[in-house]
Amino acid sequence: MMRGMLRLRPCVAALLVILPMLLAAAGLAAQAPLREEQFVYSIVAFSGRDYAGTFARREADTIYLMADVDNFITARNALVYFWPITGEWKLDLAGLDVPFEGTLELSGRGREAQPVGMTPYTYYNVRGEYELNWQVATGAEAEAAVQHSRELIAAYYAAVQTHQRERVLYEELLNELATVITALRREGRDVTELVAELEKMEAPAQPEPPGHYVVPPSSVQQAFILNLPVGEYDVRFLTADGEVMEGSERRIVTFEKRRAEAVGMEVIPGDKWTRPEESTSPTSVLYVDGSTDLYLRPFYQQEYNDLFYEKLRRNDARGNPGLMKWVRIQQVPGAALAVIAGTAGSRTEPRMVLEEPFFVEQIPGGALGYRIVPFDPEGAHQGREPSLRAFHLPVSARQPVLHLRVHDRDGRALPVSDRQVRIVAPSANGWLPLLLAAIPLLALIAVLVLRSRRVSR
Amino acid sequence: MNQRIHATAVIARRRILETVIAPGYYVALTIGLVLAHLLVAGFVRTVDSSGINLSLVPVYDLIGRSLAGAFGSTFTAKLFAEGPFLFTLYAAFLPVLLYLAVSTVFRFGLEKKVGALELLTYGPADATAYFLAALIKDLLMTAVSLAVLLAFLLAAAGLNNLVLGASLFHNLAILWFVAGAIYGYGILAASLTDNSASAVALFLGVFLVFAVVMIGSFAVIEGYARNLASVFAWVVKWISPLFYWDLALRFAEVGNWGMYLAGALLLTVLAAAVLALSHLTMKVRGVRP
Repeated sequence: MMRGMLRLRPCVAALLVILPMLLAAAGLAAQAPLREEQFVYSIVAFSGRDYAGTFARREADTIYLMADVDNFITARNALVYFWPITGEWKLDLAGLDVPFEGTLELSGRGREAQPVGMTPYTYYNVRGEYELNWQVATGAEAEAAVQHSRELIAAYYAAVQTHQRERVLYEELLNELATVITALRREGRDVTELVAELEKMEAPAQPEPPGHYVVPPSSVQQAFILNLPVGEYDVRFLTADGEVMEGSERRIVTFEKRRAEAVGMEVIPGDKWTRPEESTSPTSVLYVDGSTDLYLRPFYQQEYNDLFYEKLRRNDARGNPGLMKWVRIQQVPGAALAVIAGTAGSRTEPRMVLEEPFFVEQIPGGALGYRIVPFDPEGAHQGREPSLRAFHLPVSARQPVLHLRVHDRDGRALPVSDRQVRIVAPSANGWLPLLLAAIPLLALIAVLVLRSRRVSR
Repeated sequence: MNQRIHATAVIARRRILETVIAPGYYVALTIGLVLAHLLVAGFVRTVDSSGINLSLVPVYDLIGRSLAGAFGSTFTAKLFAEGPFLFTLYAAFLPVLLYLAVSTVFRFGLEKKVGALELLTYGPADATAYFLAALIKDLLMTAVSLAVLLAFLLAAAGLNNLVLGASLFHNLAILWFVAGAIYGYGILAASLTDNSASAVALFLGVFLVFAVVMIGSFAVIEGYARNLASVFAWVVKWISPLFYWDLALRFAEVGNWGMYLAGALLLTVLAAAVLALSHLTMKVRGVRP
């Protein structure tokens, strides 16, 4: 029996080693997000400035969409998992992606259920002066838009190939000519004409990439296009044979902006250009310590319900239903900034600041920072694009209050575009407020003294 | 009626004098002002080259994170958009509000319990004149406190090159009406109960419910909790001063001053309704505990 136990001992020892490893491995496996197959609605919703992709998983009972614009919804089976690092629910479309074909049944606002069929669509952003030029194409127009984009790209690639061929020929010719000139020079003959010919030769111009689209149309897809007025609706998905898909019932909330007539301001400090701040509230004040210049970019903004907007961009996001938030839409085109220094009693004349291009340079050496310098297209920044276009606002403690107002390209002051910039520094008289705070106690002492005198009389 | 007005005026004068010569009010006001100073001084240290960075000062970092966690980042951004004064106003006014409300409720309950109120009603005064006088005293002291607080904030703003935003003034004005309705509830709590402790407990309990409902409607909560909160809030909000306060401020935000004033008027109506209820309660229950 003892011998048997001794024989078993190595096995037990091995088990003692392997078992914790297996348990640890099991623990590690538990760290991996658990993927679950679910019926989901994929949503491509317009957010006022661009299209945002999100999805409504099984637990999401409401889909939030902007009213009176085209939004695209598809029904599919996919793997859903929670990603704890960012605290977001995600789709694993590489693992499973089964789009369904059928009909979306839309009801609500006291009207009969209305079927919505799938429509081929694409959306794209064409280049304009500023960023907001989104367009939607459906049906044959979508095909045409995609075809147009492909043709532009194909033409560009064809031009690139032609350019490469021409470039090779050019370089061959250049080499030949150079060889001839060198040989003739060695022989002591006149090469003036050949050198002139060489100098006259121009390299073939590089073709410009297609600039029509900022975001080119993606390949045509099928989706339910919902363009609904403000309200609440119920939707469910009907399969091709008319059956209601289990778990497909959702509520749709469509909403619109509350206000739009306001201008926000992006504030880029000269020493932290990667950390811009936004001043969106029309009554907000820009408090800075005045240690660096500011670069400002005014933008049009719209005000939406915080919860609705956050949920529109990401259906599992959190938001506050009791608050409205300002959302940046696009930069104010061709704006000018009127700057007035001083407070109510002693204000200077308005100084108009215009938008200028700037380039962000890395500071050489150990400082490892950036500095924003005026863009110099002819000199140091030749052949490069400006890093930003903004209004340069030098700030200093000598001008502790600056009043800003944005004007449009026609010189009109834009409503609700006023801001104040204030240079804040801890006061040298920091004890004074504390003394002021003690005034009620001093008053109490005075009252008690007066009273005790009156009583003693 | 004239007799009641006269009695109210006499008792109110007496109560104001008593408040002025007692240390409690001054201590509460000083606590509020010191709090205001600390918050403004802390805010100044949160300002860097790009604007307000709450994480630079540990206390503000904690406040910012807590508020953003409970109510969302939009709430925090709006709260500090004009500077520190909106948050400071509420933080600094709370000690004064609590002192005035609780001291009135406590004293009402105590005087009822020991028979002082009964003794008064043998004379020319009645219970209604008694609590109206308390309300007048509280409203007057509140106005004084808000004026002192405003003067202090103006001084703090001037010293640090800060500016008092428009929202502060909307909030300051409506706060007086909110305080009036809160004092009304304090009087109702005292008239419904038999002693100071239960009066204070009822008053604080009612306000806790109003506050929870209000915070619940603002808070970033999901699913079942949100639905439950919204149903409960819909029932409770009509009798809550905080609902009308919020309503008035929402209208002020979009510049609808008519509705802002209507919010203030609704708060006055609410206070009057609560006082009428107190009057009926005292009539039915009498002044004896």
